[in-house]
Amino acid sequence: MSVLVSALLLLLACAGAGVVFTRSPRRQVMAMAVNGLVLAVLFMVLQAPDVAFAEIAVGAVAVPLLFLVVLASMRMDRAPRDADRL
Amino acid sequence: MNLLPWLVAAWLLGVGLYGIVTSRNFVHLVGCLSVVQSSTYVLLLAAGFRWRAIAPIFYDHPPGTPAVDPVLQALVLTDVVIGATVTALLLAMALQLHKKRETLDPEELRPMR
Amino acid sequence: MNPKWRLAVFLLACLVVAPGVVGLALHMPRFGAPVLALGDAINAQGTAQRHVSNMVSAVNFDYRGFDTLGEEFMLLCAVTGTVVLLRGARGEALDARPGIVPGRPILPRSEAVTLVARVFAPLIILFGVYVAAHAMTTPGGGFQGGVIVASGLLLVFLGDGYQTWRALVKSRVLDACEGGGAALYALCGFAGMCLRLPFLSNVLPLGTAKEVFSGGLMLLENLGVTLAVGGGFSLIFLEFLEETRARKPDEPK
Repeated sequence: MSVLVSALLLLLACAGAGVVFTRSPRRQVMAMAVNGLVLAVLFMVLQAPDVAFAEIAVGAVAVPLLFLVVLASMRMDRAPRDADRL
Repeated sequence: MNLLPWLVAAWLLGVGLYGIVTSRNFVHLVGCLSVVQSSTYVLLLAAGFRWRAIAPIFYDHPPGTPAVDPVLQALVLTDVVIGATVTALLLAMALQLHKKRETLDPEELRPMR
Repeated sequence: MNPKWRLAVFLLACLVVAPGVVGLALHMPRFGAPVLALGDAINAQGTAQRHVSNMVSAVNFDYRGFDTLGEEFMLLCAVTGTVVLLRGARGEALDARPGIVPGRPILPRSEAVTLVARVFAPLIILFGVYVAAHAMTTPGGGFQGGVIVASGLLLVFLGDGYQTWRALVKSRVLDACEGGGAALYALCGFAGMCLRLPFLSNVLPLGTAKEVFSGGLMLLENLGVTLAVGGGFSLIFLEFLEETRARKPDEPK
């Protein structure tokens, strides 16, 4: 049991670093979804099912969707030759 | 093992702040802010955890079984949902900024130019 | 400030604070050691006092109900800010076409996606209502159920396109849900004050533990939170997705 908690904490540290060091916003969205999933599993292991419920719904659905929609809408407004810079 | 949750929370806070300080894109900055928020969730839930205890739901177990702290879970629960709403507000501001100034780089948007 | 200088100051601050952090980590209570007395007291007496099985919901809606009122209004403020920023600048259009990025091919929607979305959207909304209704017995509650319902409504957009989704999801209904949910929570507090009890006292009959309809006033507060969170998140999704529609000729950019 303590091995599981330690492994998940280290995995969470890596996932958090992954979110920060992914500089392109489009790729960072996927890193954030992975971070949300690792957080949800950690919350389940720490005996918090209510919080894991909320984190799955928010971290894997709501927040990545908001980021993707914002990036898509910014891309629409740019000139065609700059559309891939975002 | 005893220090690992507190150190991971401090690491996430530090890495998130590093991302905010060196970010070149406002949308990336909002993502780093979510990492900082997740460090507080880990800290609070690790503070309430107890080995060999059940979740604080007494449906299948009688009240009196050793259970994890429910007050900290209630704090983190509302925090997760409201944090997503605040992220939405920050993204709306970034969107308006992009429309007005055509750039998302904090370096180009400094006030004294 | 130069970016290099900013990074240097940040690293210097980290170096200065690091011994404090390590010292703090050494002084924290042992991970997994039970030290918090309030949680133990609530776990021991919550079922007998409030007749609910889910202690987290009892803390959220009864023991610390005032904090949840504050969180509700934080949600209201954030959603209002988002709507003012986005809808105020652009206006609404129910019959617009989705926007196009110049240079990218437009692929038709696959029928498999439409079928799966049409089958699963009502199931997910039903699941969200189930999670929200069983707040007092099993893990769940208004916050989780509201977000799940909002995600289920979004599947309609994925399967059937922007115009069908906008015909189904009306912004006036969502405005009413969100504001009405927050108002319901605040009015529940005043119910106790009419009987000369403190704000947010539990004045309805408590029922039996392990049943869905137990907990008294907590059920009404849970309903308020579900409406507010579901309506708020759907409204946020709606405003953001409206940003991706094609601009009409007379609208400001």
